[in-house]
Amino acid sequence: MAAHLSPPPDPQFVLRGTQSPVHALHFCRGAQAQGCPLLFSGSQDGLVHIWSLQTRRAVAALDGHGGQCVTWLQTLPQGHQLLSQGRDLKLCLWDLAEGRNTVVDSVRLESVGFCKSAILAGGQPRWTLAVPGKASDEVQILEMPSKTSVCTLKPEADAKPGMPMCLGLWQADSSPRPLLLAGYEDGSVALWDISERKMCSHVSCHEEPVMGLDFDPEKARGVSGSAGKALAVWSLDGRQALQVHGTHELTNAGVAEVAIRPDRRVLATAGWDHRVRVFHWRTMRPLAVLASHSAAVQCVAFAATGGLLAAGSKDQRISVWSLYPP
Amino acid sequence: MAVFDTPEEAFGVLRPVCVQLTKTQTVENVEHLQTQLQAVSDTALQELQQYILFPLRFTLKTPGPKRERLIQSVVECLTFVLSSTCVKEQELLQELFSELSACLYSPKSQKPAAVSEELKLAVIRGLSTLMHSAYGDIILTFYEPSILPRLGFAVSLLLALAEQEKSKQIKIAALKCLQVLLLQCDCQDHPRSLDELEQQQLGDLFASFLPGVSTALTRIITGDFKQGHSIVVSSLKIFYKTVSFIMADEQLKRISKVQAKPAVEHRVAELMVHREANWVKNTGDKLTILIKKIIECVSVHPHWKVRLELVGLVEELLLRCSQSLVESAGPILKALVGLVNDESPEVQARCNKVLRHFADQQVVVGNKAFADILSESLHSLATSLPRLMNSEDDQGKFSTLSLLFGYLKLLGPKVNFVLNSVAHLQRLSKALIQVLELDVADIKIVEERRWNSDDLNASPKTATQPWNQMQRRYFRFFTDERIFLLLRQVCQLLGYYGNLYLLVDHFMELYHESVVYRKQAAMILNELVTGAAGLEVEDLHEKHIKTSPEELREIVTSILEEYTSQENWYLVTCMEAEEMGEELMMKESSLQAITSGAHTHQVTSFLAFSKPSPTICSMNSNIWQICIQLEGIGQFAYALGKDFRLLLMSALYPVLEKAGDQTLLISQVATSTMVDISHACGYGSLQHLINQNSDYLVNGISLNLRHLALHPHTPKVLEVMLRNSDASLLPLVADVVQDVLVTLDQFYDKRAASFVSVLHALLAALAQWFPDTGDLGQLQEQSLGEEGSHLHRRPVTLGNSTTAEDIEQFLLNYLKEKDVADGNVSDIDNEEEEQSVPPEVDENDIRPDVEPPLPVQIQIATDVMERCIHLLSDKNLQIRLKVLRTLGGKCGDFLRSRFCKDVLPKLAGSLVTQAPISARAGPVYSHTLAFKLQLAVLQGLGPLCETLDLGEGDLNKVADACLIYLSAKQPVKLQEAARSVFLHLMKVDPDSTWLLLNELHCPVQFTPPHPSLRPVRLRSAPEQQNPYLANVRLLLRELQ
Repeated sequence: MAAHLSPPPDPQFVLRGTQSPVHALHFCRGAQAQGCPLLFSGSQDGLVHIWSLQTRRAVAALDGHGGQCVTWLQTLPQGHQLLSQGRDLKLCLWDLAEGRNTVVDSVRLESVGFCKSAILAGGQPRWTLAVPGKASDEVQILEMPSKTSVCTLKPEADAKPGMPMCLGLWQADSSPRPLLLAGYEDGSVALWDISERKMCSHVSCHEEPVMGLDFDPEKARGVSGSAGKALAVWSLDGRQALQVHGTHELTNAGVAEVAIRPDRRVLATAGWDHRVRVFHWRTMRPLAVLASHSAAVQCVAFAATGGLLAAGSKDQRISVWSLYPP
Repeated sequence: MAVFDTPEEAFGVLRPVCVQLTKTQTVENVEHLQTQLQAVSDTALQELQQYILFPLRFTLKTPGPKRERLIQSVVECLTFVLSSTCVKEQELLQELFSELSACLYSPKSQKPAAVSEELKLAVIRGLSTLMHSAYGDIILTFYEPSILPRLGFAVSLLLALAEQEKSKQIKIAALKCLQVLLLQCDCQDHPRSLDELEQQQLGDLFASFLPGVSTALTRIITGDFKQGHSIVVSSLKIFYKTVSFIMADEQLKRISKVQAKPAVEHRVAELMVHREANWVKNTGDKLTILIKKIIECVSVHPHWKVRLELVGLVEELLLRCSQSLVESAGPILKALVGLVNDESPEVQARCNKVLRHFADQQVVVGNKAFADILSESLHSLATSLPRLMNSEDDQGKFSTLSLLFGYLKLLGPKVNFVLNSVAHLQRLSKALIQVLELDVADIKIVEERRWNSDDLNASPKTATQPWNQMQRRYFRFFTDERIFLLLRQVCQLLGYYGNLYLLVDHFMELYHESVVYRKQAAMILNELVTGAAGLEVEDLHEKHIKTSPEELREIVTSILEEYTSQENWYLVTCMEAEEMGEELMMKESSLQAITSGAHTHQVTSFLAFSKPSPTICSMNSNIWQICIQLEGIGQFAYALGKDFRLLLMSALYPVLEKAGDQTLLISQVATSTMVDISHACGYGSLQHLINQNSDYLVNGISLNLRHLALHPHTPKVLEVMLRNSDASLLPLVADVVQDVLVTLDQFYDKRAASFVSVLHALLAALAQWFPDTGDLGQLQEQSLGEEGSHLHRRPVTLGNSTTAEDIEQFLLNYLKEKDVADGNVSDIDNEEEEQSVPPEVDENDIRPDVEPPLPVQIQIATDVMERCIHLLSDKNLQIRLKVLRTLGGKCGDFLRSRFCKDVLPKLAGSLVTQAPISARAGPVYSHTLAFKLQLAVLQGLGPLCETLDLGEGDLNKVADACLIYLSAKQPVKLQEAARSVFLHLMKVDPDSTWLLLNELHCPVQFTPPHPSLRPVRLRSAPEQQNPYLANVRLLLRELQ
């Protein structure tokens, strides 16, 4: 096997200039239609950089988190609006239309935790936001843009899963009920029914805290990565019960984030071992190990179309890869 | 002038003369009449016209033989009268016409009578004047059917004169007269243009002459070139004016199918022609033959005025007879396009004007028949093109290509009909590829090298002046530079009008298909893109939609990707050994040095046979390939303008890499490409271009460092970038330096040398971007230097008058200065340390337990130096010294202790132990590795001592080790090197060097400055056996 190793693939290009470790990445979806794709990156020094993938240069840097690490980025499908979450306990909503780069709204967060937020947004003006709650084990659901609290999801007293570490919101096509997936500090993943405010299912996947999860509603299958050496693949049956499907041993411990490509063909993990690993999502066969960073990879993101993958690392670089273009 | 204004007066004078003439018909009487006539006013003359004409006409009509001289003078006199008067009666006009024509009539034959040239000329002029003197509409009544026989007679007479006469004057006059007779005179005396009916009647009449006129004129036109251009020009003009009048589509379309019965006698009616469809068809066919003949002959006529007239023919016939002469359209268009690139600017201009006129009128594109004919012609030209390119000489190639160019220009967007046919596109491209084949036998291209490979940015600097010219290239199949220019224009037109995707695909395929086609295909691709941008193409078809900038950019991107791909960009252009760089050479040579004495010769032969070496031709071809691709990138930039900025991310790195290529030609072309790029993208200079796109370069550098074996020149690109950057790029540089160091860590053994120069450039750049804030150090150094020289001068100034106090003071001063100096040095060191850390870091840092982070530039420098320390123990001496110089030059303080502790003892030790061996060795020794080591160490030590600013003890160590090499017993080269060490030592510490040298050999006796001091005794060896004598003397002389 070792004798037949093909040369390691190269990134298509590397974005430099954040001058600070990169913690969050997100490909802009709205503007892509206009042929000028953008990538957002959030870094430890609190800046959000907007990168033009056409010129491969930063077109703007947004400073809204008072120098505190930006941990999560997301755009709204309606248009030029960007959400950024920072360690300054603030979630900012930016208006980016027509070159404006201004905070139009912000949500005060109550928890210092590591948990990244999640949104559920369709074409409607109203959308749902899940953020870490006030108590350390809570998740708060807000209706946006009015910022009205819908509910607080708190595990039962005897469960003690610890802090939520990562969240995922989705809504099945067949059902109007929004669901929330949460990975917890004790290595378990839970499914919440938001309308009923109850935990539908709770399954232990990892020995270490869950660091990232992603869910494929079509196959009703999800994947989570933890601080440990394994990836867990779990599925959801018709009765909304989570079942661990299998675990996949990794060479080195520590996954900061997992992401399934929008076309649900491949899965990428951000490894603390400086590497991005790519798997075939259906079979979980390892496809590639992308080594170009010199420090832990802290986030990965896929573009909606075109097969671009971006990885952000503690080494202050963002590598952009073109993988198995669809 | 006129003396006799009234008819009465004039009559009085003229009557006797006229009577006299009627009675006695002599030349003298005629001349007498003409003299008198000159004194008569025009109005009087007009009144008396008939009266005066009578004796003249009488003389002509008198039967019996007449002297030619008389006839001539009568005709001349007649002409004079006619030129001053008008003929107002149709009858008179016809009679005079007949009488004049008859003068040249020979009853025996059809040919003109054998009369004198003067008479012929007089008659021709007479006829001409007569036709001009016809008053108003009289002239039209003249051309009635009944005149047909007489007119025909005159026409054939004039044609015969024009064709057969020897005198050029007569020929011209005959043609002029013919022109007048056929109502095509271009003088100003014909105010009224003909209406439709008149035109038609005249056309019917003249149609009878068409066969005769056209064939005779064709004979004249296609006659000997030597007959003079004006005859051909006039004939051509009459030809096409007559043809276009008789065959005018305007007239023909109104002609009824049935001939109206003409009211003339039978004999004349037989002569009349009815221009119905059949006649038109037959005549058109016959004319086509003539027109082809004419064009064939005239299009290569040496005189430009003739070719210019040919353009007139084309214009006239195509505009007026496009239907009746449709069969001739092919050759006519061919004539036109063939002249588009005529060598005469007048012809070119006229051609272009006509083409533009046609385009405006949609003559060609709007006319399906013409477009078809053109496509057809282009088809057939494409078919024969490969053969023609193979067989024709330069001139032939030039005209064939001109033709191709003309077709393309005229067809415009319709050229795609031809290109869409696979067979024809293949023919066309095959011909282009074939004719563009380069001659790659020139060995100089391969030989010429950029020798100063260290100074990579020297060329970009000089290139800020406009790049003069494209490198001259040599083609296998032609030498004429104009052909290359024409080929480029052809390709540009193709790119402009043709389907660019189709063409680029096609030539890209050829590019891939074979090395044999690759260079040509690239040249063509370059021109296609330039053409597509429409920057140099004169567009005749204004509605043509150009390739959009986005499409063009897309196409350029794909070509660029192909050009710069691994297999097309990194071609073998020189012998492998050179390519690998000096470190490999070093290894090879040292290896050889051990096994054999005469190593240099062996190395080359060893290298030459170790690999199947590429031939000179293939390397030359590769060089051209790269140059053409580089030029292409420049052309792409030109074509895209500022849009090219988006491509810089992929284009800049490869071009910059080639700018540092060892092959002179490649590096020159790459540099000019850089200039082109910075012009196109709007950068003021190459430095701007590099500086503002360093992020793209860094991306390329860092990706290529991952595959260093494939991209051995990557460090060079970084070097160039560093030299052209400024402090604003520090973060970027810091970033890429990490990659460099990581790569260096992996390749210590193989490519250290190229990295060391990058590190050198890096430290140099850092030193330049962050100049030392504490100038104290330098000042101190200066003052120390001054003191040093002060001390040094002191012994000289100590003259005999020196007192004891002076000496005491000197000593006290010396001790004090020594103290202060010692104290100061340590103080300054501390200050420097403090100042090198910017104060704001301390302010910002609140946590006292954490060490303040170093500024980035210092962190980089530290990282670099750590690597260099490892390299200090490299097996390769060259690298060791290079590293030392790198470090010594930029960070002496840091290195000094390290050098003194670890390196110096070893170097000194090796010098001392080797000295006895080299002193005894024979001449072969200079070929050994040991010798080379000694030499390298001796050569390197001096600069190091100086730059590292070594202390006294270490300097002594150096001096001791080198002293032995000043001996005359050592090989000369080592002596020289040792002297150089001492020259450096003198600069650092002149006093102790002076002392040391004097102890070896003292050329002068020292007398103490004061009697109370004891004389100095230096322990130098006796002069005779002193082996150091020569060198010491040399050095001491330097010290004085």
